[in-house]
Amino acid sequence: MKKNLLIRLTGLGLAVVMAAGMSGCGGSGGGTGGGSAATEEYSKPESIKMTFDTCMTFENGLQDVCDEYKNQTGIDLSIEKPDHAKYYEKITLAFASGNPSDVIEMGSTYYPENANNGALWDMTDAWENTTATAKSIIDESYVDALKVDIKDGNGPRLYGFPTVAGNGTITYARKDWFDEATGGNAPKNYDEFIEMLRKFKARGNGAIPITAAGLINSETPYDIYLREFYQDAIPDFYQKEDGSWVDGFTEPAMEGALQRMRDAFAEGLIDGEIVTNNTSTCRDKFNSGLVGAFNYWAGMWCAKLDDSTPDTELVPLPIIEEAGHYIERVPTAMVITNNCSNPVGVFEDLIMYSHDGGAGQLLFTRGVKDKHYTENSDGTATALAYYEDPNTLVEKSFYAPELSITEWQDPIALDPRVESSLQVFRENREFATVPQVSDVISDNLANLNVVKKEVIANVVHGNISVEEGMEKYNNEAGSYVEAILADLNSNG
Amino acid sequence: MAGVNHETLVVKKPPLGNLLYKYRYFYLMAIPVVVLLLIFFYWPMLGIRFAFSTYKLKHITSGAGPDYSTGFGNFVALFKDKFFIDSFRNTVVLSFWNLVFSTVFTVIVALLINELQHEWAKKFVQTVLYLPHFLSWVVVASIFTLLLSAGADQTGTDLTTVGFVNAIFMKLGFIDHPIAFLTTKETWRPAWYIIQRWKETGWGTIIYLAALSGISPDLYEAAEIDGAGRMKQTWYITLPSLMDTILIVFILNLAKILNVFESVFVLYNELVYSVSDVIQTYTYRKGIQGNDYGYSTAIGLFKSVISLFLVTGADYVAKRIRGYGIV
Repeated sequence: MKKNLLIRLTGLGLAVVMAAGMSGCGGSGGGTGGGSAATEEYSKPESIKMTFDTCMTFENGLQDVCDEYKNQTGIDLSIEKPDHAKYYEKITLAFASGNPSDVIEMGSTYYPENANNGALWDMTDAWENTTATAKSIIDESYVDALKVDIKDGNGPRLYGFPTVAGNGTITYARKDWFDEATGGNAPKNYDEFIEMLRKFKARGNGAIPITAAGLINSETPYDIYLREFYQDAIPDFYQKEDGSWVDGFTEPAMEGALQRMRDAFAEGLIDGEIVTNNTSTCRDKFNSGLVGAFNYWAGMWCAKLDDSTPDTELVPLPIIEEAGHYIERVPTAMVITNNCSNPVGVFEDLIMYSHDGGAGQLLFTRGVKDKHYTENSDGTATALAYYEDPNTLVEKSFYAPELSITEWQDPIALDPRVESSLQVFRENREFATVPQVSDVISDNLANLNVVKKEVIANVVHGNISVEEGMEKYNNEAGSYVEAILADLNSNG
Repeated sequence: MAGVNHETLVVKKPPLGNLLYKYRYFYLMAIPVVVLLLIFFYWPMLGIRFAFSTYKLKHITSGAGPDYSTGFGNFVALFKDKFFIDSFRNTVVLSFWNLVFSTVFTVIVALLINELQHEWAKKFVQTVLYLPHFLSWVVVASIFTLLLSAGADQTGTDLTTVGFVNAIFMKLGFIDHPIAFLTTKETWRPAWYIIQRWKETGWGTIIYLAALSGISPDLYEAAEIDGAGRMKQTWYITLPSLMDTILIVFILNLAKILNVFESVFVLYNELVYSVSDVIQTYTYRKGIQGNDYGYSTAIGLFKSVISLFLVTGADYVAKRIRGYGIV
């Protein structure tokens, strides 16, 4: 009798545990979701687990944002925020273990790869059918920028939704050096740009004319830094107008770029430590007054760099004629994984809600009222200081306000320096496209990028000539390039 | 008096069941340990099977599981890849010399510390030497990148931003132009060995200092009476007494010889890939960034097999030379 009771209780306990485990993000609350309306009925999620990198920290009140989200929508939002340096390692391991969060913030290098691996939920239909407010106020070019063709016969599909605009880097100059060197006139072409750098160098005392966090970016777009030197060269695969794919690294434009960088480096115009630089060492050099020009992020970083660089202001430079444009990255995506049992509910009540141009967007951008900002009587708002740092105002909870992709009226006025750098950037930008994905590319890209980096660094440092560099590239990377091109061109 | 017939004396071994029953409480106490050992040490080893499969993220998301038709395909691909061969060679070279320098320098420093007469001086020196061990490799890399910098001016005319080491060398007249220690193939490895020793030598002395404290003072007293000086005492008493410890530490370190990652990852760059890229950094690129679990497991298995051979080989040599090993 007792044994039977024990068995029954154990069975009941197991059933409860299994039910709780399976509920995940998809517990059915019934009816339509809270924040936004959809064309079709969907069940409101009871809880959502999200992994995010570029949000505020828990120490600064991230849990308050989650609590406020629960107040507004009735949904439990739990956030996992791994260490920034190991973010993608953690994400990869989560996928490998078969237990990723329901929603993950994912950069453009990893996003198409995971889409191709079938790890992400296809949200194309949800986006097309939604009647949420977000649909009418979002700049669709950012959404379209995230469409990926995984060659399954369905054409480009949407596997992630942009959090904010992709943004990109522009070249900043110290105003005092810049005024002295150019009389306040931004260089229009490469010759004028180089002349400006020469005048920076002539100052002596350790002056570094231009610095960047590497000669080539580690992820796409590879040529986002040093645009003035890369100009029309594309160190990556790209599709020509006739539809065929080519390797831009093997084209004459790349030889020209290598020669320009090599010459400028030999002349001492490019930071001699560029290959050991990272973004923080570049910022340190710039802040310590050693650097004349620095290619770095438009937007908030303009104000930050300006604040931490004493004695002078920053000048965001328009792109020179030969380069033609700065590059706007593919936006960072918020993806819903196939692990999520109620993806439509999450799409509507989290993603669409966070871009609703109202309370949702305010929460996901500026945080919680009276904790991260206060409302003024005239309808505007004032940012409060971070919990951890009373001297710094809260910039964002999840989404950078200056990079909003909706027609949203931010109640907090942006810093004029942020706006001016973004204006220069947007007047001079072109959108990058989502990197191509396939098994062949995945298998070969890591080794190919090593060869590219080696060739560029050795040519620029004068260890080998441009011709020798291209020969090395063809010899060592030829098989990878051939395989990738064959794959790309066979798929059209 | 009847004598004992030794030829017919048989020691009867009790039946296994009796032994198990006799020691039942000991076995009971061992059960949790054995279970934990099986779960945390042996169960994960089942993952070795992925080395013989094609296993990527899509195999997980599709629910298909690993494709075992690959067989030894991952190993074939591994040995065909120039980058793996290079990284294997670099790993062996870097680890071998690091092991040699580690053993030599650690023993020497331990002997020197042991010679310090004042207890406070000994503790102070020990503390100072241990501290670098607690710094993360990222911090160490930042420090040495600054110290070893050849400056931001490639032309070498403006020496304002030259690092401390180059500045000293130039001041002393050793060199005319700054040396880019971390971006030159010829100097990267020596710089890495020095940074490794700076960080880990102090920590490594702990075990030798413990061993040194166990040497009987009578031996030194007797040697002193026999007229042996400090050097002879070290050579004939201290070092022979330390040999067992040196051997154990050497063999244990040999097992880890192929596990070089963080120190290289934070210090290498594209100008020195050919002499610095190691198996772990290669695996990181191919496995983690490429989501190729089958391939990266194959690399891990290869590494483990090599380590096993190295340890058993060293143990065998130790047994032949000294009569005993540790395995």
